[in-house]
Amino acid sequence: MINGLNEDQSAALQELANIGMGQAGNSLALIWKEFVHLSIPRIAMVDASRLPDLILSFVGDTAVSASRQAFHGGFRGEVLVVVTARDRNGLAQLMGYEGQLDAAEREEVLLDIVNILGGACVGGIAQQVSAEIGFSAPSLIGEDLDPLDVINPEQLAIDTALSLEVCFQVENRSLTAHLVILLPNNEVGALADLLDQFLCTLEA
Amino acid sequence: MNDEYNTILADFIVERLELGVFAVDAQFNIVLWNRFMHTHSGKSAQSLKGSNLFTTFPELPESWLKRKIESVFALGNYAFTSWEQRAYLFRFKHNRPITGGVEAMLQNCTFLPLKDEKGKVEFVVITLQDCTDNALIQQRLAEAITISDEERRKQQELIVKLEDAKNQLFQSEKLASIGQLAAGVAHEINNPIGFVNSNLGTLERNVTDLMKLMAVFESKEAELPEAAQQELSKIKKDIDFEYVKEDLAALINESKEGLGHVRRIVADLKDFSRVDQSGWQIADLEKCIDTTLNVVSNEIRYKATVVKEYGHPPLVECVPGQINQVLMNLVVNASQAFPERGQITLRTGEEGMYVWIEVQDDGVGIPSENLQRIFEPFFTTKPVGTGTGLGLSVCYNIVRKHEGELTVRSEVGKGSCFRILLPIFHGKMGESEELEAAHSVPQ
Ligand SMILES: Nc1ncnc2c1ncn2[C@@H]1O[C@H](COP(=O)(O)OP(=O)(O)OP(=O)(O)O)[C@@H](O)[C@H]1O
Ligand SMILES: [Mg+2]
Repeated sequence: MINGLNEDQSAALQELANIGMGQAGNSLALIWKEFVHLSIPRIAMVDASRLPDLILSFVGDTAVSASRQAFHGGFRGEVLVVVTARDRNGLAQLMGYEGQLDAAEREEVLLDIVNILGGACVGGIAQQVSAEIGFSAPSLIGEDLDPLDVINPEQLAIDTALSLEVCFQVENRSLTAHLVILLPNNEVGALADLLDQFLCTLEA
Repeated sequence: MNDEYNTILADFIVERLELGVFAVDAQFNIVLWNRFMHTHSGKSAQSLKGSNLFTTFPELPESWLKRKIESVFALGNYAFTSWEQRAYLFRFKHNRPITGGVEAMLQNCTFLPLKDEKGKVEFVVITLQDCTDNALIQQRLAEAITISDEERRKQQELIVKLEDAKNQLFQSEKLASIGQLAAGVAHEINNPIGFVNSNLGTLERNVTDLMKLMAVFESKEAELPEAAQQELSKIKKDIDFEYVKEDLAALINESKEGLGHVRRIVADLKDFSRVDQSGWQIADLEKCIDTTLNVVSNEIRYKATVVKEYGHPPLVECVPGQINQVLMNLVVNASQAFPERGQITLRTGEEGMYVWIEVQDDGVGIPSENLQRIFEPFFTTKPVGTGTGLGLSVCYNIVRKHEGELTVRSEVGKGSCFRILLPIFHGKMGESEELEAAHSVPQ
């Protein structure tokens, strides 16, 4: 069960995330014309103070790059995507980049990853609970960071965060992206309400 | 408001907003092209309706942009580009042709999915926002930050330099105060040496007198009774009187010599630091060299043979205490340049209005990559705790204060030669006649 959500809501959220990522995987496979595998998302509610450790446990002790994107509408929050440095070039080819990437293009790829994965995941969930969600332009947190430096919990305005870990694999190019959805404390309630409504429509 | 009004309003907004708006279908055919796009591209909506985006604008980065738009169609989500990573989508002239200084309009783009009732994406709408002004402000800000960073770095450098200068000052002050201490000690030693010396003189006279007396005694010895004679000769034998007689004189002589040595050292020490007469003076540099050599003689005795090749240059207006410091540093450095033992040659000479001193050694020499750096404070190749690396930088500054020059020639394996060039006149003493008078004194 996820903190702040009851058992039904937790199960529903997991299910919606599965479906959302599944759909996203299919859509991406269509664009990229390569088989895309998205792992079943692992969802957990974590203490904000534990986020740096969580990210470290996702990726291990290696340099990472990270980007973020805000979303708003039916529920509000931010998506954070962490990837390890070596994953980027393969993905850039899929995105239609040609030749060696320059510094600006490397940043752009990072921004696109958070946009695509965040959109697929949060957008997927929102669509199924019939919530309208908009996204702001993504921004860069940094490249070649220590995993512990991606988030400074002291600068977060929240106590808990919804963490959603997905592994993302395209044929033989493997990219593991880790996604964390940060929801302000009061927004967990909003999400719970939406999940309840969704559950009602299922029963009806 | 009815639907018709809504449509008019929407059309108005799309047309009049200071924002590029256009839309394409899944085949990348243009279905919407607003006035902003028209104005900047020079192509009207009528002429473009239905034509393919990529055939009309072949300069667009096709493979990337296709993927981007396709992903919006497939995922139904927004997508973005930012001028910071991608300066522009369309190469438009920007709105600051005169004051701008950038080559094209910088753009932020948003890709929006336009969905039908079933949620399927029918069109992708792309908005294009002119960010040139913001970007310029941001760039200026970044430049300003770089400049202030640069300034901070320079300040940091200055602080380091200041620290160096302080250390040098400290070092030369330390040397000066060591000199003062030495002079103080020398002064203290002077008094006891004085009475030891005079006592020694008295002792010598007394011993001579005593010996005279003894000689008379000895000549009368035969007149004594047999028993007394025997007793005397036994004692003489026991104390080895013949030896004592000779040794006494030798002892006194050696003591006098030793004491003379001590007095010379004390005098040199006082001379070397010149506490009694600091400041600018008219000095004989060869005398400076001699006193310095006496002071460091212990340091170098076992490492070097000193050869003097004096050219008897004229007297020089200088601060002798400081010149002594320079000489001492150079001589000590030279003595440290020998793996075993070597020769230090000290030369003097005159050159126009200058007098020069050379301190040459046949030691290890200085590699050319170090030659530039040896005058830097803290540059040392000696083991930690041995050299501070301040010696030469202090020398350099002293010579510079004398408006002279300190230069070096060196060859690895052959040795080094440091040359001090000092102007004869400074006018620092106010009475240059005195100096000239000094120079005209026949030696
Ligand atoms: N006569 C010389 N022959 C070879 N190298 C020399 C000679 N004089 C100076 N150097 C080189 O220049 C360096 C700097 O000399 P400097 O007198 O400034 O410092 P130092 O002798 O190392 O330390 P300190 O004088 O404080 O004991 C020396 O470490 C040495 O490498
Ligand atoms: Mg030295």
